[in-house]
Amino acid sequence: MNHDKVLEVENITKVYGKGENRTEALKGISFDVLEGEFLGIMGPSGSGKTTLLNSIATMIKVTSGKIWLKGEDISSFKGKELSGYRGKAIGYLFQEFELLDNLTGRENIILPLSLHGMTGRESESSLKRLAWHFGIEDELDKFPSQMSGGQKQRVAAARALIGNPGIVLADEPTGALDSRNSKVLMDRLSALNEDEGRTIVMVTHDANAASYCSRILFIQDGRLFHELRRNVRTETTERFYERIVTVLSQLGGGSANVL
Amino acid sequence: MFFRQIKRNAAKNRKNNGLFFGSLVIAVIAFYTLLSMDKQDIMRFLKTIESDAVRKLLQLIPVVYGVSLFFVFFLVYFSCHYQLNERKKELGLYLMLGMKKSRLFAMLMSETLLNSLISLVIGIPAALFLTEAISLITVRAAGLDIIGHEVTWSFPAVAETAAGFIIVQLTAMLILSTRFANTEPAKLLNPDVSETQGETMGKERKGDAFFFAAGCILLAAAYGMGVMLFGSFDVVIVLAVLILGTAGTFLLYRGAGAVIGRHIQKKGAERSGLYAFTGRQIQENILCQHKTLAVSSLLLLIALSCVSYGIGTVVSSQAATSKTTDFSIQGDEEKEDWENVLEILESRECRKYISGYYPVYLGRADAERHEVSVDGLKKAVVSIKDAKDKEMQDNVAEYMDSNEGYEYFIALSSYNDVLEAAGKGKLSLKDKEIGFYTSMKEYPDRLEIYRSALKDGAYIELDGEQYQLSEELYYDNVVADRQITLEKAFIVPDELYMKMVEDSDRLFCYNAMLRPELTEKEGFMQTLEKASEIFREKGLVYESYLSGIGRRMFYTVAGSYITIYLGILFMIIANTSIALKYLMQQQGNRKRYRTLMMLGADIGELCRSSAKQIYLFSGMVLLVSSVSSVFAIWTMFKSFLSLPEGVSPGKMIALTGAAFAVFVATQMIYVMIIERAGRKDIRNLNIR
Repeated sequence: MNHDKVLEVENITKVYGKGENRTEALKGISFDVLEGEFLGIMGPSGSGKTTLLNSIATMIKVTSGKIWLKGEDISSFKGKELSGYRGKAIGYLFQEFELLDNLTGRENIILPLSLHGMTGRESESSLKRLAWHFGIEDELDKFPSQMSGGQKQRVAAARALIGNPGIVLADEPTGALDSRNSKVLMDRLSALNEDEGRTIVMVTHDANAASYCSRILFIQDGRLFHELRRNVRTETTERFYERIVTVLSQLGGGSANVL
Repeated sequence: MFFRQIKRNAAKNRKNNGLFFGSLVIAVIAFYTLLSMDKQDIMRFLKTIESDAVRKLLQLIPVVYGVSLFFVFFLVYFSCHYQLNERKKELGLYLMLGMKKSRLFAMLMSETLLNSLISLVIGIPAALFLTEAISLITVRAAGLDIIGHEVTWSFPAVAETAAGFIIVQLTAMLILSTRFANTEPAKLLNPDVSETQGETMGKERKGDAFFFAAGCILLAAAYGMGVMLFGSFDVVIVLAVLILGTAGTFLLYRGAGAVIGRHIQKKGAERSGLYAFTGRQIQENILCQHKTLAVSSLLLLIALSCVSYGIGTVVSSQAATSKTTDFSIQGDEEKEDWENVLEILESRECRKYISGYYPVYLGRADAERHEVSVDGLKKAVVSIKDAKDKEMQDNVAEYMDSNEGYEYFIALSSYNDVLEAAGKGKLSLKDKEIGFYTSMKEYPDRLEIYRSALKDGAYIELDGEQYQLSEELYYDNVVADRQITLEKAFIVPDELYMKMVEDSDRLFCYNAMLRPELTEKEGFMQTLEKASEIFREKGLVYESYLSGIGRRMFYTVAGSYITIYLGILFMIIANTSIALKYLMQQQGNRKRYRTLMMLGADIGELCRSSAKQIYLFSGMVLLVSSVSSVFAIWTMFKSFLSLPEGVSPGKMIALTGAAFAVFVATQMIYVMIIERAGRKDIRNLNIR
């Protein structure tokens, strides 16, 4: 087994319902994610991309196939192993932020660490570093209702990263943000990816957000059907964006069909 | 199709809201019990002897019922609101699919009606059973073994219960369903409860913690004033205590959220796990529901006080029912001579019921011929140093100046007959000694004054001769009823009695007792009734123990029945509204548990957090109401409900404690049901 691979997805399928109601959401998908990679997953609605991400996040149990994270088979996890995996081995970034609105920014961010037995004092240094990185130092003692959407998502991002997870999973993280806030968030995420070598897997509809990725998988009807790679050294995000849009229009006969 | 849907929805509502449905059934039972009061054995019996008082009491019942309905209305309103919130999405869908508003409205109303009918179908038979049981128990507790129990079924009570109950339910639903049917379908389909909830956080101001402190101070002031100053029963003080207490409770809960918030901020950094989350959940609940908490806490306080008052009255009246004689015969209507009375008592019909009789020598000293001086007694009263009730001490001494009421004498032999009939040992007086008698044993403060005076060597002078009063105080009733209240009298040896009281005044009445073998066989009430009938036929003027019991029992029943009823009702309402408000709050934040699970919280931990939340939330209510009720009950027994002679405070405390334990247990049942529902909810969220 190659340990440069953080994540290995091996021929996974997911079937919902039985008999006539049987729907195959994933029909045998395999791919690897390398250490330090920023992977995007794109596809039309109902293509199975969120199902795929949720399978990796252990929110869904796959019907068949295996998912390995750093050499461990996560599809066999149960109980303590499962809760240990969530929040610690992976960080999850939701489209709707999912901050607990009765907790302050600080309490929200350190929650994954508290849940794994660390006190606020012990997590203080990681908290400060992330708060600085995402520019949310002033938001730490505010409640979510007192923050803007962009601030909320950056707090959520800090929460996803505080446990120092091996991989960050993001489900349409810019879906509920305006373009300016989307840009701020993507800049910070990609900086983390480039400077600290964080591995990120992101599901998105947004070609702009996707242009920050180093590789993009396109999914349709539960199958992988295309892959785009960016030459990180020579290719700018603007250029990659154009390629994404071109590919989307070429592949799907217009973006309406693909996006 | 439409009816089947209503039936299905109604069944689902019952199943999902078992707690509320159960509370409704209890409310039905309570309503019927109250409304059928006039048909209960004890009331039927009381009507025959205390018809006026009973009539007044029964006139009060509709008012009590109205008040109960008013409170139950809120209960129903809250719970329907909760239920409809749960079904928002479903209702939105109906509207989106083209259901007419009027039809949706009709559907919701029919569901309510159906469930009301089902609660009645369960509640009414249970109520019938319960009222029968209460009938039998109260009769036994009051010492009237057989009044002649009748199985009663009060149709008007059933009708009134059903009408009141259905009207309350339909009114609440009418308001709510109009509101829901007029809401935009899109709003119903996308519930935004959690957003509005989250907004309450972070809005607290610096001054909020001040409310908490102010609440504590006001409550302490109310407690202090109640205990220290309530005795005089000044309207201003009563009002002040009520206002201070109510305002204090509201302020306390208003500020409690801020205090908890500060605590979390301070301690949160040192804790791990769900500490911050659990704390913030409780804080948010309290911030959002501080009014409900205050109202519930006050309702529980009223409930606890009501029940303690009820228990107090029962205990007091039981203490007062020590019986010394069954009849006191005061002569006959025509001939007015005692010979005739004796003849009648000796007759065959009377002997059948009467086991024995004795003359009661009780009379007034002739003021013109004899001089009674109570200066020695007054001196002793005035010299009492550590009297608890100074006002009473002055009062007693003042009355002695005019000698008023100090001219009654009882012959020793008669008093000994009384004692013997009550199964007590005889009293013997030394030379130049006389006994002091009072029938005021319900007033322990006054007894205390007399008792201290007797211990201090009080004496009186009769025609210039000094007589020592024996140290003991005597208070066994000398006649069957207390229509003649002897506040004080002197028990003197027979010769002295004959000397002091004029011939024509000497004999007061004949006391007669029923045959115990008959009362055991046929029941006391029935034997008493039969014997009374014979006396009436023969033209005797008499008083029986019956009217004495009647009066006491009336106070017992009126005092205990209604207060206990209200106590139970308030308790149910308080508990259900806490439960419902909590569930409503929970409704909006299911998503949070999902997020927590995603962040790595395990299910057990979440269940424990949810349990902690409900225990602490309801504990907040119980704590404040318990502390308040300790003071309320203390005040009550210190002022208007003083315990009569012979009732140990320990017994009262034990009984009130038991009632309190029942309250706590009931609340625990509610809490446990909610906790279980919360646990089920969390387990259902299992994201994998």
